[in-house]
Amino acid sequence: MGLLPDEIKAAMQGVIPSHVVTCAADGTPNASAISQVYYVDGDHVALSHQFFNKTKRNLAENPHAMVWLIHPETFDTWDLELVLDHSETSGPVFDAMDMQIEAIASMVGMKGIFKLKAADIFRVISVVKTSGERIRR
Amino acid sequence: MTAAADDQDPHVLRELIARSQETIDRLNLDLARRTNDVRIIQQISSEITSTLDLDEVLGIVLGAMERVLGFQHSMLLLAEPAGDTVVVAATRGYGRPSTDARVRIGDGVIGVVAERKALMRVGNIGTSLRYLQAIRARMQAAGQAPAGEAPAALPGLPDAQSQLALPLLVKDRLVGVLVVESAKPNAFDDLDEVVLRIVGNQAATAIDNARTYRMVDQLGRLKRFFSPHLAELIIRGGADDPLKTHRREVTVVFLDLRGFTAFAETAEPEEVMGVLREYHAEMGKLILAHEGTLERFTGDGMMIFFNDPLPVPDAGRRAARMSAEMQERVSPLTAKWRRLGYELGLGIGIAKGFATIGGIGFEGRWDYGAIGTVTNLAARLCGEAKGGEILVSTRLAGEIEDIAETEELAPLTLKGFARPVPAMKLVRLKPA
Repeated sequence: MGLLPDEIKAAMQGVIPSHVVTCAADGTPNASAISQVYYVDGDHVALSHQFFNKTKRNLAENPHAMVWLIHPETFDTWDLELVLDHSETSGPVFDAMDMQIEAIASMVGMKGIFKLKAADIFRVISVVKTSGERIRR
Repeated sequence: MTAAADDQDPHVLRELIARSQETIDRLNLDLARRTNDVRIIQQISSEITSTLDLDEVLGIVLGAMERVLGFQHSMLLLAEPAGDTVVVAATRGYGRPSTDARVRIGDGVIGVVAERKALMRVGNIGTSLRYLQAIRARMQAAGQAPAGEAPAALPGLPDAQSQLALPLLVKDRLVGVLVVESAKPNAFDDLDEVVLRIVGNQAATAIDNARTYRMVDQLGRLKRFFSPHLAELIIRGGADDPLKTHRREVTVVFLDLRGFTAFAETAEPEEVMGVLREYHAEMGKLILAHEGTLERFTGDGMMIFFNDPLPVPDAGRRAARMSAEMQERVSPLTAKWRRLGYELGLGIGIAKGFATIGGIGFEGRWDYGAIGTVTNLAARLCGEAKGGEILVSTRLAGEIEDIAETEELAPLTLKGFARPVPAMKLVRLKPA
Protein backbone atom coordinates (compact mmCIF):
# COMPACT_ATOMS: atom_id res chain seq x y z
CA MET A 1 0.00 0.00 0.00
CA GLY A 2 1.30 3.38 -0.95
CA LEU A 3 0.68 6.76 0.58
CA LEU A 4 -2.07 7.75 -1.87
CA PRO A 5 -5.55 6.60 -0.80
CA ASP A 6 -7.94 5.19 -3.43
CA GLU A 7 -10.40 8.05 -3.00
CA ILE A 8 -7.78 10.53 -4.22
CA LYS A 9 -7.91 9.06 -7.75
CA ALA A 10 -11.08 11.00 -8.56
CA ALA A 11 -9.18 14.21 -7.82
CA MET A 12 -6.57 13.15 -10.37
CA GLN A 13 -8.85 13.12 -13.42
CA GLY A 14 -8.42 16.80 -14.12
CA VAL A 15 -12.06 17.71 -13.59
CA ILE A 16 -11.06 20.56 -11.32
CA PRO A 17 -7.60 21.95 -12.09
CA SER A 18 -4.91 21.35 -9.50
CA HIS A 19 -2.26 23.77 -8.27
CA VAL A 20 1.45 23.22 -8.05
CA VAL A 21 3.91 25.26 -6.03
CA THR A 22 7.64 25.22 -6.76
CA CYS A 23 10.61 27.24 -5.63
CA ALA A 24 13.43 28.93 -7.49
CA ALA A 25 17.02 28.53 -6.30
CA ASP A 26 16.82 31.85 -4.47
CA GLY A 27 13.69 30.72 -2.61
CA THR A 28 11.12 32.66 -4.62
CA PRO A 29 7.93 30.55 -4.69
CA ASN A 30 5.72 30.12 -7.74
CA ALA A 31 2.16 28.84 -7.79
CA SER A 32 0.60 27.68 -10.99
CA ALA A 33 -2.64 26.00 -12.08
CA ILE A 34 -2.21 22.71 -13.93
CA SER A 35 -4.84 20.80 -15.83
CA GLN A 36 -4.16 17.38 -14.38
CA VAL A 37 -2.06 15.42 -11.93
CA TYR A 38 -1.79 11.82 -13.15
CA TYR A 39 -1.93 8.86 -10.80
CA VAL A 40 0.99 6.50 -11.47
CA ASP A 41 0.90 4.21 -8.42
CA GLY A 42 0.39 4.46 -4.66
CA ASP A 43 3.62 6.43 -4.25
CA HIS A 44 4.05 8.27 -7.54
CA VAL A 45 2.26 10.88 -9.59
CA ALA A 46 3.12 12.46 -12.93
CA LEU A 47 2.83 15.97 -14.30
CA SER A 48 2.79 16.67 -17.99
CA HIS A 49 5.56 18.72 -19.51
CA GLN A 50 4.17 20.40 -22.61
CA PHE A 51 5.66 23.89 -22.50
CA PHE A 52 8.75 25.30 -20.93
CA ASN A 53 7.55 27.50 -18.08
CA LYS A 54 8.50 28.75 -14.66
CA THR A 55 7.45 25.50 -12.97
CA LYS A 56 9.80 23.57 -15.20
CA ARG A 57 12.63 26.03 -14.63
CA ASN A 58 12.18 25.93 -10.86
CA LEU A 59 12.15 22.13 -10.79
CA ALA A 60 15.51 22.10 -12.54
CA GLU A 61 16.89 24.19 -9.67
CA ASN A 62 14.90 22.60 -6.83
CA PRO A 63 13.13 19.23 -7.31
CA HIS A 64 10.66 19.73 -4.44
CA ALA A 65 7.04 20.66 -5.11
CA MET A 66 3.66 20.86 -3.38
CA VAL A 67 0.42 20.00 -5.11
CA TRP A 68 -3.09 20.94 -4.00
CA LEU A 69 -5.83 18.55 -5.19
CA ILE A 70 -9.61 18.98 -5.11
CA HIS A 71 -12.11 16.12 -5.27
CA PRO A 72 -14.69 17.10 -7.92
CA GLU A 73 -17.71 15.64 -6.06
CA THR A 74 -16.97 15.90 -2.32
CA PHE A 75 -14.67 18.93 -2.63
CA ASP A 76 -12.27 17.25 -0.25
CA THR A 77 -8.78 18.65 -0.66
CA TRP A 78 -5.32 17.20 -0.25
CA ASP A 79 -1.82 18.58 -0.03
CA LEU A 80 0.82 16.40 -1.63
CA GLU A 81 4.48 16.89 -0.91
CA LEU A 82 6.47 15.73 -3.93
CA VAL A 83 10.00 15.41 -5.17
CA LEU A 84 10.85 15.09 -8.86
CA ASP A 85 12.25 11.64 -9.47
CA HIS A 86 12.83 11.48 -13.21
CA SER A 87 11.32 12.35 -16.60
CA GLU A 88 10.02 9.80 -19.07
CA THR A 89 9.63 10.19 -22.82
CA SER A 90 8.35 6.67 -23.48
CA GLY A 91 6.72 3.80 -21.63
CA PRO A 92 3.17 3.15 -20.42
CA VAL A 93 2.78 6.28 -18.28
CA PHE A 94 4.06 8.58 -21.01
CA ASP A 95 1.91 6.82 -23.64
CA ALA A 96 -1.29 7.08 -21.59
CA MET A 97 -0.75 10.80 -20.95
CA ASP A 98 0.39 11.46 -24.50
CA MET A 99 -2.65 9.82 -26.07
CA GLN A 100 -5.05 11.81 -23.88
CA ILE A 101 -3.39 15.04 -24.89
CA GLU A 102 -3.39 14.01 -28.55
CA ALA A 103 -7.09 13.10 -28.42
CA ILE A 104 -8.16 16.41 -26.93
CA ALA A 105 -5.74 18.39 -29.13
CA SER A 106 -7.23 16.79 -32.25
CA MET A 107 -10.67 17.94 -31.12
CA VAL A 108 -9.59 21.59 -31.17
CA GLY A 109 -7.60 21.29 -34.38
CA MET A 110 -4.27 21.45 -32.57
CA LYS A 111 -2.94 17.97 -33.17
CA GLY A 112 0.81 18.01 -33.36
CA ILE A 113 0.97 21.47 -31.77
CA PHE A 114 -0.06 20.42 -28.28
CA LYS A 115 2.35 17.63 -27.62
CA LEU A 116 3.60 15.93 -24.52
CA LYS A 117 7.33 16.58 -24.29
CA ALA A 118 7.81 14.45 -21.20
CA ALA A 119 6.05 12.89 -18.24
CA ASP A 120 7.68 14.19 -15.07
CA ILE A 121 7.44 11.47 -12.43
CA PHE A 122 7.33 12.59 -8.80
CA ARG A 123 7.71 10.54 -5.65
CA VAL A 124 5.09 11.30 -3.02
CA ILE A 125 6.70 12.21 0.31
CA SER A 126 3.55 12.97 2.27
CA VAL A 127 -0.21 13.25 1.83
CA VAL A 128 -2.37 15.41 4.05
CA LYS A 129 -6.11 15.54 3.68
CA THR A 130 -6.88 19.15 4.41
CA SER A 131 -10.66 18.81 4.51
CA GLY A 132 -13.31 16.24 5.37
CA GLU A 133 -11.74 14.24 8.16
CA ARG A 134 -10.68 17.32 10.00
CA ILE A 135 -14.17 18.66 9.92
CA ARG A 136 -15.53 15.45 11.48
CA ARG A 137 -13.20 15.62 14.44
CA MET B 1 -2.74 2.96 14.85
CA THR B 2 -0.44 1.53 17.50
CA ALA B 3 -0.13 4.86 19.20
CA ALA B 4 -3.89 5.30 19.17
CA ALA B 5 -4.52 1.78 20.55
CA ASP B 6 -2.21 2.46 23.52
CA ASP B 7 -4.36 5.41 24.31
CA GLN B 8 -7.12 4.30 26.67
CA ASP B 9 -9.42 7.22 25.88
CA PRO B 10 -12.84 5.54 25.21
CA HIS B 11 -13.67 8.17 22.56
CA VAL B 12 -10.66 7.18 20.55
CA LEU B 13 -11.52 3.48 20.92
CA ARG B 14 -15.07 4.06 19.78
CA GLU B 15 -13.76 6.04 16.86
CA LEU B 16 -11.36 3.21 15.97
CA ILE B 17 -14.12 0.59 16.09
CA ALA B 18 -16.41 2.74 13.99
CA ARG B 19 -13.66 3.20 11.40
CA SER B 20 -12.86 -0.51 11.30
CA GLN B 21 -16.54 -1.23 10.72
CA GLU B 22 -16.52 1.33 7.91
CA THR B 23 -13.57 -0.40 6.32
CA ILE B 24 -15.25 -3.80 6.60
CA ASP B 25 -18.46 -2.42 5.09
CA ARG B 26 -16.54 -0.90 2.22
CA LEU B 27 -14.65 -4.13 1.56
CA ASN B 28 -17.91 -6.11 1.65
CA LEU B 29 -19.49 -3.72 -0.80
CA ASP B 30 -16.45 -3.98 -3.03
CA LEU B 31 -16.54 -7.77 -2.86
CA ALA B 32 -20.25 -7.82 -3.67
CA ARG B 33 -19.63 -5.63 -6.68
CA ARG B 34 -16.81 -7.83 -7.91
CA THR B 35 -18.86 -11.01 -7.47
CA ASN B 36 -21.69 -9.39 -9.35
CA ASP B 37 -19.29 -8.33 -12.10
CA VAL B 38 -18.03 -11.87 -12.56
CA ARG B 39 -21.59 -13.14 -12.86
CA ILE B 40 -22.40 -10.40 -15.37
CA ILE B 41 -19.35 -11.18 -17.45
CA GLN B 42 -20.28 -14.86 -17.61
CA GLN B 43 -23.79 -13.96 -18.69
CA ILE B 44 -22.58 -11.59 -21.41
CA SER B 45 -20.01 -14.02 -22.75
CA SER B 46 -22.54 -16.80 -23.15
CA GLU B 47 -24.90 -14.41 -24.97
CA ILE B 48 -22.21 -13.04 -27.26
CA THR B 49 -21.01 -16.43 -28.40
CA SER B 50 -24.54 -17.68 -29.09
CA THR B 51 -24.85 -16.13 -32.55
CA LEU B 52 -22.91 -15.51 -35.75
CA ASP B 53 -25.14 -12.67 -36.90
CA LEU B 54 -23.13 -9.45 -36.80
CA ASP B 55 -26.04 -7.14 -36.00
CA GLU B 56 -27.15 -9.44 -33.21
CA VAL B 57 -23.66 -9.52 -31.72
CA LEU B 58 -23.47 -5.71 -31.79
CA GLY B 59 -26.91 -5.46 -30.18
CA ILE B 60 -25.99 -7.92 -27.43
CA VAL B 61 -22.76 -6.09 -26.58
CA LEU B 62 -24.41 -2.68 -26.34
CA GLY B 63 -27.47 -4.11 -24.59
CA ALA B 64 -25.16 -5.59 -21.97
CA MET B 65 -23.45 -2.21 -21.55
CA GLU B 66 -26.69 -0.67 -20.38
CA ARG B 67 -28.65 -3.51 -18.88
CA VAL B 68 -25.94 -5.15 -16.83
CA LEU B 69 -23.16 -2.60 -16.52
CA GLY B 70 -25.31 0.50 -16.27
CA PHE B 71 -23.58 2.48 -19.04
CA GLN B 72 -26.35 4.43 -20.70
CA HIS B 73 -24.59 5.71 -23.80
CA SER B 74 -22.53 3.29 -25.81
CA MET B 75 -21.29 2.94 -29.39
CA LEU B 76 -19.57 0.28 -31.39
CA LEU B 77 -17.41 1.34 -34.30
CA LEU B 78 -15.94 -1.13 -36.76
CA ALA B 79 -12.63 -0.86 -38.55
CA GLU B 80 -12.99 -0.44 -42.29
CA PRO B 81 -11.09 -2.66 -44.72
CA ALA B 82 -9.58 0.42 -46.36
CA GLY B 83 -8.07 1.30 -43.00
CA ASP B 84 -8.14 5.06 -42.33
CA THR B 85 -11.51 5.32 -40.60
CA VAL B 86 -13.71 3.50 -38.13
CA VAL B 87 -17.44 3.59 -38.82
CA VAL B 88 -20.27 3.64 -36.28
CA ALA B 89 -22.02 0.26 -36.61
CA ALA B 90 -24.34 0.34 -33.59
CA THR B 91 -25.35 2.81 -30.88
CA ARG B 92 -27.43 2.66 -27.74
CA GLY B 93 -28.87 5.45 -25.61
CA TYR B 94 -28.84 8.26 -28.15
CA GLY B 95 -31.97 10.05 -29.28
CA ARG B 96 -30.82 10.14 -32.88
CA PRO B 97 -28.72 7.14 -33.87
CA SER B 98 -25.63 8.18 -35.77
CA THR B 99 -24.80 4.90 -37.49
CA ASP B 100 -22.59 5.17 -40.56
CA ALA B 101 -20.81 8.21 -39.09
CA ARG B 102 -17.10 7.85 -39.66
CA VAL B 103 -14.21 8.78 -37.41
CA ARG B 104 -10.79 9.28 -38.95
CA ILE B 105 -8.04 7.29 -37.28
CA GLY B 106 -6.28 9.78 -35.00
CA ASP B 107 -9.27 12.09 -34.43
CA GLY B 108 -10.59 12.56 -30.91
CA VAL B 109 -10.65 9.94 -28.19
CA ILE B 110 -12.06 7.23 -30.49
CA GLY B 111 -9.67 7.97 -33.34
CA VAL B 112 -6.61 8.01 -31.09
CA VAL B 113 -7.68 4.76 -29.40
CA ALA B 114 -8.00 3.18 -32.87
CA GLU B 115 -4.63 4.57 -33.89
CA ARG B 116 -2.71 3.43 -30.82
CA LYS B 117 -4.73 0.29 -30.11
CA ALA B 118 -4.78 1.22 -26.44
CA LEU B 119 -7.60 1.85 -23.99
CA MET B 120 -8.27 5.42 -22.94
CA ARG B 121 -10.32 6.79 -20.08
CA VAL B 122 -10.96 10.50 -19.92
CA GLY B 123 -13.07 12.09 -17.20
CA ASN B 124 -12.54 15.74 -17.94
CA ILE B 125 -13.19 16.33 -21.61
CA GLY B 126 -15.00 19.62 -21.00
CA THR B 127 -12.28 21.05 -18.77
CA SER B 128 -9.51 19.86 -21.07
CA LEU B 129 -11.18 21.32 -24.13
CA ARG B 130 -11.67 24.69 -22.46
CA TYR B 131 -8.06 24.63 -21.26
CA LEU B 132 -6.70 23.84 -24.72
CA GLN B 133 -9.04 26.30 -26.39
CA ALA B 134 -7.74 29.03 -24.09
CA ILE B 135 -4.15 28.15 -24.91
CA ARG B 136 -4.95 27.96 -28.60
CA ALA B 137 -6.51 31.43 -28.49
CA ARG B 138 -3.34 32.78 -26.88
CA MET B 139 -1.13 31.01 -29.39
CA GLN B 140 -3.27 32.20 -32.28
CA ALA B 141 -2.99 35.77 -30.99
CA ALA B 142 0.78 35.33 -30.98
CA GLY B 143 0.69 33.80 -34.46
CA GLN B 144 1.99 30.44 -33.19
CA ALA B 145 -1.06 28.36 -34.03
CA PRO B 146 -3.15 28.04 -37.19
CA ALA B 147 -6.39 30.00 -37.25
CA GLY B 148 -9.74 28.34 -37.78
CA GLU B 149 -12.13 26.32 -35.75
CA ALA B 150 -12.23 22.73 -34.55
CA PRO B 151 -12.24 19.87 -37.08
CA ALA B 152 -15.23 17.72 -38.09
CA ALA B 153 -17.79 16.84 -35.42
CA LEU B 154 -17.41 13.45 -33.78
CA PRO B 155 -20.30 11.08 -33.17
CA GLY B 156 -21.69 10.67 -29.67
CA LEU B 157 -22.91 13.00 -26.96
CA PRO B 158 -22.23 16.63 -27.85
CA ASP B 159 -21.46 17.41 -24.20
CA ALA B 160 -19.63 14.21 -23.22
CA GLN B 161 -17.42 14.79 -20.20
CA SER B 162 -16.31 11.21 -19.68
CA GLN B 163 -15.36 8.63 -22.26
CA LEU B 164 -14.00 5.17 -21.87
CA ALA B 165 -12.89 3.82 -25.23
CA LEU B 166 -11.52 0.35 -25.75
CA PRO B 167 -9.86 -0.95 -28.91
CA LEU B 168 -11.31 -4.31 -29.93
CA LEU B 169 -8.35 -6.40 -30.96
CA VAL B 170 -7.92 -9.88 -32.31
CA LYS B 171 -4.23 -10.82 -32.25
CA ASP B 172 -3.24 -7.14 -32.36
CA ARG B 173 -5.47 -6.48 -35.39
CA LEU B 174 -8.02 -3.70 -34.85
CA VAL B 175 -11.57 -4.99 -35.26
CA GLY B 176 -13.29 -1.91 -33.87
CA VAL B 177 -13.69 0.44 -30.92
CA LEU B 178 -16.17 0.09 -28.05
CA VAL B 179 -17.07 3.39 -26.43
CA VAL B 180 -19.11 4.23 -23.35
CA GLU B 181 -19.62 7.85 -22.43
CA SER B 182 -21.39 10.16 -20.06
CA ALA B 183 -22.25 13.82 -19.70
CA LYS B 184 -21.03 13.56 -16.11
CA PRO B 185 -17.36 14.10 -15.35
CA ASN B 186 -15.36 11.19 -13.92
CA ALA B 187 -18.14 8.73 -14.70
CA PHE B 188 -15.89 5.69 -15.03
CA ASP B 189 -13.45 4.15 -12.59
CA ASP B 190 -10.73 1.49 -12.52
CA LEU B 191 -13.22 -1.32 -12.05
CA ASP B 192 -15.32 -0.20 -15.02
CA GLU B 193 -12.12 -0.31 -17.04
CA VAL B 194 -11.39 -3.89 -15.96
CA VAL B 195 -14.91 -5.11 -16.71
CA LEU B 196 -14.97 -3.37 -20.09
CA ARG B 197 -11.65 -4.96 -21.01
CA ILE B 198 -12.96 -8.45 -20.34
CA VAL B 199 -16.23 -7.91 -22.20
CA GLY B 200 -14.30 -6.16 -24.97
CA ASN B 201 -12.01 -9.14 -25.54
CA GLN B 202 -14.97 -11.43 -26.02
CA ALA B 203 -16.81 -8.90 -28.14
CA ALA B 204 -13.76 -8.53 -30.41
CA THR B 205 -13.63 -12.25 -31.10
CA ALA B 206 -17.39 -12.52 -31.57
CA ILE B 207 -17.52 -9.54 -33.94
CA ASP B 208 -14.56 -10.82 -35.89
CA ASN B 209 -16.15 -14.26 -36.25
CA ALA B 210 -19.47 -12.76 -37.34
CA ARG B 211 -17.74 -10.51 -39.88
CA THR B 212 -15.73 -13.42 -41.24
CA TYR B 213 -18.87 -15.50 -41.49
CA ARG B 214 -20.69 -12.70 -43.30
CA MET B 215 -17.71 -12.22 -45.61
CA VAL B 216 -17.46 -15.90 -46.50
CA ASP B 217 -21.18 -15.92 -47.17
CA GLN B 218 -20.92 -12.84 -49.38
CA LEU B 219 -17.80 -14.15 -51.06
CA GLY B 220 -19.60 -17.37 -51.99
CA ARG B 221 -22.43 -15.35 -53.49
CA LEU B 222 -20.10 -13.08 -55.44
CA LYS B 223 -17.92 -15.91 -56.71
CA ARG B 224 -20.92 -17.24 -58.59
CA PHE B 225 -20.72 -14.22 -60.87
CA PHE B 226 -17.21 -12.87 -60.65
CA SER B 227 -13.69 -14.13 -60.78
CA PRO B 228 -12.28 -15.06 -57.36
CA HIS B 229 -9.91 -12.12 -57.63
CA LEU B 230 -12.73 -9.66 -58.23
CA ALA B 231 -14.91 -11.17 -55.50
CA GLU B 232 -12.08 -10.64 -53.00
CA LEU B 233 -11.61 -7.09 -54.22
CA ILE B 234 -15.30 -6.32 -53.69
CA ILE B 235 -15.22 -7.81 -50.18
CA ARG B 236 -12.15 -5.80 -49.24
CA GLY B 237 -13.91 -2.65 -50.33
CA GLY B 238 -11.68 -2.07 -53.37
CA ALA B 239 -14.70 -2.17 -55.70
CA ASP B 240 -18.32 -1.19 -55.20
CA ASP B 241 -20.84 -3.88 -54.44
CA PRO B 242 -22.02 -4.69 -57.97
CA LEU B 243 -25.31 -6.04 -56.70
CA LYS B 244 -26.42 -2.49 -55.86
CA THR B 245 -28.45 -1.18 -58.77
CA HIS B 246 -26.49 1.22 -60.95
CA ARG B 247 -26.38 2.44 -64.54
CA ARG B 248 -23.31 2.10 -66.68
CA GLU B 249 -22.16 1.84 -70.26
CA VAL B 250 -21.19 -1.75 -70.96
CA THR B 251 -20.15 -3.92 -73.87
CA VAL B 252 -22.23 -7.08 -73.96
CA VAL B 253 -21.20 -10.32 -75.68
CA PHE B 254 -23.64 -13.14 -76.37
CA LEU B 255 -22.56 -16.58 -77.58
CA ASP B 256 -24.33 -19.74 -78.47
CA LEU B 257 -23.79 -22.86 -80.49
CA ARG B 258 -25.52 -23.15 -83.86
CA GLY B 259 -27.09 -26.56 -84.28
CA PHE B 260 -27.13 -27.22 -80.56
CA THR B 261 -30.89 -27.72 -80.27
CA ALA B 262 -30.88 -30.33 -83.03
CA PHE B 263 -27.81 -31.95 -81.52
CA ALA B 264 -29.36 -32.07 -78.04
CA GLU B 265 -32.50 -33.66 -79.46
CA THR B 266 -30.68 -36.51 -81.18
CA ALA B 267 -27.57 -37.16 -79.04
CA GLU B 268 -27.40 -38.98 -75.71
CA PRO B 269 -27.50 -36.66 -72.67
CA GLU B 270 -24.00 -37.81 -71.64
CA GLU B 271 -22.67 -36.73 -75.05
CA VAL B 272 -24.41 -33.37 -74.75
CA MET B 273 -22.91 -32.83 -71.31
CA GLY B 274 -19.49 -33.82 -72.63
CA VAL B 275 -19.65 -31.26 -75.44
CA LEU B 276 -20.90 -28.54 -73.10
CA ARG B 277 -18.16 -29.26 -70.60
CA GLU B 278 -15.41 -28.88 -73.21
CA TYR B 279 -17.00 -25.75 -74.61
CA HIS B 280 -17.58 -24.09 -71.21
CA ALA B 281 -14.05 -24.90 -70.05
CA GLU B 282 -12.46 -23.27 -73.11
CA MET B 283 -14.75 -20.22 -73.08
CA GLY B 284 -14.37 -19.80 -69.30
CA LYS B 285 -10.58 -19.54 -69.60
CA LEU B 286 -10.87 -16.77 -72.19
CA ILE B 287 -13.48 -14.85 -70.17
CA LEU B 288 -11.13 -14.86 -67.16
CA ALA B 289 -8.11 -13.94 -69.30
CA HIS B 290 -9.90 -10.88 -70.73
CA GLU B 291 -11.48 -9.98 -67.37
CA GLY B 292 -15.02 -10.25 -68.62
CA THR B 293 -17.96 -10.70 -66.28
CA LEU B 294 -19.95 -13.85 -66.90
CA GLU B 295 -23.51 -12.80 -66.28
CA ARG B 296 -25.05 -16.19 -66.92
CA PHE B 297 -24.97 -19.29 -69.03
CA THR B 298 -27.95 -21.30 -70.09
CA GLY B 299 -27.10 -24.54 -71.84
CA ASP B 300 -25.04 -23.48 -74.85
CA GLY B 301 -25.67 -19.75 -74.43
CA MET B 302 -23.49 -17.32 -72.48
CA MET B 303 -23.75 -13.63 -71.71
CA ILE B 304 -20.59 -11.78 -70.82
CA PHE B 305 -20.06 -8.11 -70.28
CA PHE B 306 -17.22 -5.68 -69.90
CA ASN B 307 -16.84 -2.47 -67.85
CA ASP B 308 -18.79 -3.72 -64.86
CA PRO B 309 -18.26 -4.21 -62.02
CA LEU B 310 -14.63 -3.37 -62.76
CA PRO B 311 -14.35 -0.35 -65.04
CA VAL B 312 -12.02 -0.99 -67.98
CA PRO B 313 -11.00 1.70 -70.46
CA ASP B 314 -11.07 -0.60 -73.51
CA ALA B 315 -14.22 -2.64 -72.97
CA GLY B 316 -15.12 -2.78 -76.70
CA ARG B 317 -11.68 -3.95 -77.78
CA ARG B 318 -11.48 -6.54 -75.04
CA ALA B 319 -14.84 -7.91 -76.16
CA ALA B 320 -13.71 -8.06 -79.80
CA ARG B 321 -10.39 -9.71 -78.98
CA MET B 322 -12.01 -12.22 -76.66
CA SER B 323 -14.64 -13.10 -79.29
CA ALA B 324 -12.05 -13.59 -82.04
CA GLU B 325 -10.01 -15.84 -79.75
CA MET B 326 -13.13 -17.77 -78.85
CA GLN B 327 -13.81 -18.52 -82.50
CA GLU B 328 -10.19 -19.62 -82.92
CA ARG B 329 -10.39 -21.86 -79.87
CA VAL B 330 -13.74 -23.36 -80.88
CA SER B 331 -12.74 -24.28 -84.44
CA PRO B 332 -10.68 -27.40 -83.49
CA LEU B 333 -13.56 -28.39 -81.22
CA THR B 334 -16.14 -28.09 -84.01
CA ALA B 335 -13.84 -30.15 -86.26
CA LYS B 336 -13.69 -32.82 -83.61
CA TRP B 337 -17.46 -32.70 -83.05
CA ARG B 338 -17.99 -32.95 -86.81
CA ARG B 339 -15.96 -36.19 -86.89
CA LEU B 340 -18.33 -37.50 -84.21
CA GLY B 341 -21.22 -36.52 -86.45
CA TYR B 342 -22.40 -33.32 -84.77
CA GLU B 343 -22.73 -30.18 -86.86
CA LEU B 344 -22.06 -27.35 -84.37
CA GLY B 345 -20.71 -23.82 -84.81
CA LEU B 346 -20.26 -20.80 -82.53
CA GLY B 347 -22.22 -17.59 -83.19
CA ILE B 348 -21.33 -14.38 -81.37
CA GLY B 349 -23.07 -10.98 -81.10
CA ILE B 350 -21.55 -7.87 -79.51
CA ALA B 351 -23.19 -4.52 -78.71
CA LYS B 352 -22.34 -1.51 -76.64
CA GLY B 353 -24.63 0.82 -74.69
CA PHE B 354 -26.05 1.82 -71.31
CA ALA B 355 -27.65 -0.77 -69.09
CA THR B 356 -29.11 -0.86 -65.60
CA ILE B 357 -27.12 -3.38 -63.66
CA GLY B 358 -27.54 -4.89 -60.23
CA GLY B 359 -29.00 -7.62 -58.10
CA ILE B 360 -32.23 -9.05 -59.46
CA GLY B 361 -34.29 -11.53 -57.49
CA PHE B 362 -35.31 -12.03 -53.91
CA GLU B 363 -33.74 -12.90 -50.55
CA GLY B 364 -31.75 -16.09 -50.81
CA ARG B 365 -31.76 -16.15 -54.60
CA TRP B 366 -30.11 -13.04 -55.95
CA ASP B 367 -28.78 -12.87 -59.47
CA TYR B 368 -26.58 -10.31 -61.02
CA GLY B 369 -28.09 -8.99 -64.23
CA ALA B 370 -28.12 -6.20 -66.79
CA ILE B 371 -31.25 -4.73 -68.30
CA GLY B 372 -31.31 -2.50 -71.37
CA THR B 373 -31.59 -2.40 -75.14
CA VAL B 374 -27.90 -3.24 -75.37
CA THR B 375 -28.40 -6.75 -73.98
CA ASN B 376 -31.31 -7.36 -76.30
CA LEU B 377 -29.33 -6.13 -79.31
CA ALA B 378 -26.33 -8.33 -78.49
CA ALA B 379 -28.61 -11.35 -78.08
CA ARG B 380 -30.37 -10.68 -81.41
CA LEU B 381 -27.07 -10.17 -83.25
CA CYS B 382 -25.86 -13.46 -81.78
CA GLY B 383 -29.04 -15.10 -83.04
CA GLU B 384 -28.34 -13.80 -86.57
CA ALA B 385 -24.67 -14.92 -86.58
CA LYS B 386 -23.93 -18.13 -88.43
CA GLY B 387 -21.46 -20.68 -87.07
CA GLY B 388 -18.01 -19.06 -86.90
CA GLU B 389 -19.35 -15.50 -87.26
CA ILE B 390 -19.09 -12.47 -84.97
CA LEU B 391 -21.70 -9.75 -85.55
CA VAL B 392 -21.19 -6.35 -83.96
CA SER B 393 -23.33 -3.23 -83.63
CA THR B 394 -22.22 -0.24 -85.74
CA ARG B 395 -21.45 1.70 -82.57
CA LEU B 396 -18.96 -0.93 -81.48
CA ALA B 397 -17.54 -1.33 -85.00
CA GLY B 398 -16.41 2.30 -84.93
CA GLU B 399 -14.52 1.68 -81.71
CA ILE B 400 -12.63 -1.39 -82.89
CA GLU B 401 -11.76 -0.36 -86.45
CA ASP B 402 -8.07 0.04 -85.57
CA ILE B 403 -7.76 -3.55 -84.35
CA ALA B 404 -10.28 -5.43 -86.50
CA GLU B 405 -11.38 -5.74 -90.11
CA THR B 406 -15.14 -5.43 -90.42
CA GLU B 407 -17.61 -5.88 -93.22
CA GLU B 408 -20.92 -4.05 -93.54
CA LEU B 409 -24.09 -6.15 -93.64
CA ALA B 410 -27.52 -5.32 -94.97
CA PRO B 411 -29.66 -3.91 -92.11
CA LEU B 412 -31.16 -6.71 -90.05
CA THR B 413 -34.76 -7.04 -89.02
CA LEU B 414 -34.56 -7.98 -85.34
CA LYS B 415 -37.21 -8.88 -82.82
CA GLY B 416 -37.81 -6.02 -80.39
CA PHE B 417 -36.54 -3.37 -82.82
CA ALA B 418 -39.08 -1.38 -84.82
CA ARG B 419 -36.71 -0.57 -87.68
CA PRO B 420 -34.05 -2.62 -89.49
CA VAL B 421 -30.78 -2.45 -87.54
CA PRO B 422 -27.48 -1.82 -89.35
CA ALA B 423 -24.75 -4.24 -88.27
CA MET B 424 -21.18 -5.27 -89.16
CA LYS B 425 -19.38 -8.55 -89.30
CA LEU B 426 -16.01 -8.84 -87.60
CA VAL B 427 -13.91 -10.62 -90.21
CA ARG B 428 -10.59 -10.89 -88.42
CA LEU B 429 -8.30 -9.09 -86.02
CA LYS B 430 -5.62 -6.98 -87.66
CA PRO B 431 -2.12 -8.30 -86.91
CA ALA B 432 -0.76 -6.42 -83.88
